[in-house]
Amino acid sequence: MSRAFTVAVAGQPNCGKSTLFNTLTGARQFVANYPGVTVEKRIGLFAHKGDRITLVDLPGTYSLTSYSLEERVARDFLLDESPDLVLNIVDASNLERNLYLTFQLLEMEFPLVLALNMMDIAAGRGIDVDPLRLSDELQVPVIPTIGNRGKGKRELREAIWAACASKEDHRSRFRVDYGEALESVIALLEAKLSQQAHLAGRYPVRWLAIKLLEDDPEVRKLVTGAVEARDYRLSRSEEPGESQ
Amino acid sequence: MTLDELRVGQEARIVDIALSGAIGQRLLDMGFVEGTCVKIVRNAPLIDPIDLLVRGYHVSIRHAEAEGVEVEPL
Repeated sequence: MSRAFTVAVAGQPNCGKSTLFNTLTGARQFVANYPGVTVEKRIGLFAHKGDRITLVDLPGTYSLTSYSLEERVARDFLLDESPDLVLNIVDASNLERNLYLTFQLLEMEFPLVLALNMMDIAAGRGIDVDPLRLSDELQVPVIPTIGNRGKGKRELREAIWAACASKEDHRSRFRVDYGEALESVIALLEAKLSQQAHLAGRYPVRWLAIKLLEDDPEVRKLVTGAVEARDYRLSRSEEPGESQ
Repeated sequence: MTLDELRVGQEARIVDIALSGAIGQRLLDMGFVEGTCVKIVRNAPLIDPIDLLVRGYHVSIRHAEAEGVEVEPL
């Protein structure tokens, strides 16, 4: 039976995201807006081994904080729609900066496939990236690509499909180590956040803890909102006079 | 000394970022952290922006933003 999967395509500006998106989906695309905002939402389709794979192009962002509209749109889509997979396109010639977004996606505990794009430009600059080594370190599939020449297209489609169709939990266990001083605070926050059932059930607690430390306004609202709602219910149930 | 005081061709190491909010966050996202080396590539003819080389790529920022980046020249 044919299955349908949704894949979010994330990448920093100028990583070749649009070119690779076009290469993967061809002419089977349509354009909409993200709800309520004038940020373009491109959607494309391709079929692989009888399954239907829908790609959603996220706005190109350097990061996933809540400072800019594009970043909020990208983040909200990821959190609210929880796609089956995130395809993260990284510019191999600018790997260090591009991996920052990758770490954020890993922190949000999404299943990930990495497209190591612009391999030709990296090679031209004398940068030799080892896809296997990167894959080993990050514990995600890494496919080398050259978007404008269609190189790696077949392998990438196969990797996307395989990751979507796999029944196992293949999310990476890789975590950025923030050092003892921060990790002890993160652990403390994680323990407290885990007690908030409706937060912990929806969002990765480590990610929430890190965003709280960054003083991310959206996450702060999310957490205080959830805690206030719980305290309110508790105070109601503690007053037996009210429930007759 | 701050980043906007450097001359073209000079290199420096970032000591501190005294910018907050969206622009501070954006610089952090792009790899402007303590210890990172930056090189002044050129200045625009009408002063702003400044072209910088950071972590192997070019980025242009305003003098007003560069003023918030504390550096030590190398």
